[in-house]
Amino acid sequence: MPFPQRQAAIAGIYLTPQGKLPDRTSFSLQLEAIKGALADAGLTIDDVDALLPMSMSNHIGPQSGATDAHQFWAEQLHRKPIMLMEIGGAAGQLAKASAAIAAGMCEVAVLFYGKAGRPVGPRGTVTADKAPRIPEWNSAIHGGYTIPYYALWAQRYLKDFGYTSADLAEHSVVDRYHATLNPESVMGVKGEITVDDVLNSRMIADPLHLLECSLDTDGGYAVVLTTAERARDAKKKPVYVLGGAEAVYTDFYITIDSDWWSPARNPMRAAADKAFSLAQVSRDDIDVFGSFDCFSITGMRTFEELGFSEVGEGPAFVKEGHTRLGGKLPTNTDGGLLSNSHPGDPSGLMVVEVVKQLRGEAEGRQVENARIGLAHQQGWSVHAISSSLILGVD
Amino acid sequence: MTTTPYLKPLPAISQENEPFWEGLKRHEFLVPKCADCGSWNWVPYPACRNCLSENQEWTKVSGDATIYTYTIITRGHGQFNDEAPYALVVAQLAESPLDCLVIGNTRGIPNEELEIGKPVKIVFEDIPDEDVTLWRFGPA
Repeated sequence: MPFPQRQAAIAGIYLTPQGKLPDRTSFSLQLEAIKGALADAGLTIDDVDALLPMSMSNHIGPQSGATDAHQFWAEQLHRKPIMLMEIGGAAGQLAKASAAIAAGMCEVAVLFYGKAGRPVGPRGTVTADKAPRIPEWNSAIHGGYTIPYYALWAQRYLKDFGYTSADLAEHSVVDRYHATLNPESVMGVKGEITVDDVLNSRMIADPLHLLECSLDTDGGYAVVLTTAERARDAKKKPVYVLGGAEAVYTDFYITIDSDWWSPARNPMRAAADKAFSLAQVSRDDIDVFGSFDCFSITGMRTFEELGFSEVGEGPAFVKEGHTRLGGKLPTNTDGGLLSNSHPGDPSGLMVVEVVKQLRGEAEGRQVENARIGLAHQQGWSVHAISSSLILGVD
Repeated sequence: MTTTPYLKPLPAISQENEPFWEGLKRHEFLVPKCADCGSWNWVPYPACRNCLSENQEWTKVSGDATIYTYTIITRGHGQFNDEAPYALVVAQLAESPLDCLVIGNTRGIPNEELEIGKPVKIVFEDIPDEDVTLWRFGPA
C-alpha cells in the first residue's frame, strides 16, 4: 500500500514575548520559538525532519548571504536532509503538514515565526528621497494599505446591513475583556474598554477607529506537529488534528472581487466546510475558537463566513454574548489580534491558544471541558487566503 | 493637491502592462477586453478570467463609474499622511460583463460628498518630474 495513513497531533507549542522588543531580532525570536516548542514537546532538533517557516518572516540574516529561507534554516539547524513546506497561513500549513505526516513523508514538523524591528503599519514607513517604484497595481500608489483596504470593506458592510460603528466595536470590547484574563497579552494590563472607548479612539480610515485595528507588535511562536503515536509519548497531552483545509482566492491586495457577502465562492467558507467535513464534526461541536480577527469588521464577518451565523448577523451574534468566555463559542480567549498581539504574520497565535485551551493550560481564561477547537486564518487581502484547522483531545 | 517633489510610490512599469501606462499618458484608461468572449478584465491579467483566452486587447473604457465603496483616511503612509484626510475609492466601471472594480483617489469631490452608488468619472493627473500619469476619480 502506498502512503500509510496516520493521524497527526500537536505535541509542542511556544510563544515568545510579544510587544515592542527593540533588543531582539527576527532570527532570535524564531530560534527561541523553535527551541521552546521542541522543549515543550520533549523533543530535540535532531528529531525534526520538516520545517514550516511562515511567509513574511524576515528569515534571512544579513550575514548569511543566503537567498532561500528554507535552505538557510536547513543549514542553520543541523545539516541533515530536511523536508520544507511553506504554504499559506498557520492553520493551512499545519493541515497540509498533517497530510504529509499521515502519508509518511515526515515525522516531526516545526512551524515557526518571529518578527522584530520595523513595524508593518504606518509607523514603519521608510522616508524616501525619490518616489519609490512598486508593483504597478498595488493600492499603495493611491495611499492604500492594509487598514484602508478593510475600511473599504467595512464601509460597504455598514451600508448594506444597516449597522453602525458601535455594532462593530463590540468585537473590540470582547477581545479586550479576554486580554485582561491573559497575563501574556500586550493590552490586558490596560484594562477593559467600552464601545464608547472604541468610538472615541482616533479614526484611522473611516469607519475603522484605532481600537478596531490590529496591534503592530513584535513576537514569535512555534508549533511542533508529529504523529499521534509520538505525541502520546511527549511531555504534554497530545492535541490531535481532526481536519483542516486551505483555500486561496484573489491576488494580494490587488484584485477586488464582488459580491463580498455571499458564501458562494468565498474561500473562508470553502476551507471551513472542507475542514469540518474531514473532521466529521459540526459547528456546534466547537468549544473554543481562534479567529483571525485583524479588524473589528474581520472578526464580525468571520462568524458569517465560517457559517457560525447568517450573513449580516455577525454583529448580532457577538452582541448576544456568544463569543465571550462562558458563551457558546468563546472566541480569541487570548485577546485576539486587537488586544493580545499581531506580530506581522500572527496566524500561529490562534493555534497556540486553542492548543492551550484543549490542554487545559489556559488558567484564568480556561474554557470548561474544552475538547474540540477551531484555529482559523485569513488575510493577504480581504480573505484572499483562508484556512481552518480543527483540533481535539481525548 | 500634489506636493513637490512627489515622493509617494509610483508604478514599476513592466513590458506586459506598458500599453496601459502609455494610454494613461494620452489620458485614456485601457482595460484588457477578451476578443473571444467580450469580458473586461481588471486588474490586467495574462489571460481572460472568464474563458482563459490569451487573446485580449487593450480597450479604452468610457470612464463612467459608480462608487462601490470608499474610505476617508486620516492616517496614511509617508507623504500621504501629509495630505490626510484623503479619500480612497473603489469604483465600479460601467463596462461589463465581469465587474471592473478600480481603486484610486478622488479629485474635485469633497470627502463629505462621497457615498456608495455616487456616479464618478475617471480623470487623469500627470505626475510632475516623473514619466507617469495616474488615474483619479472626479465628479461625473
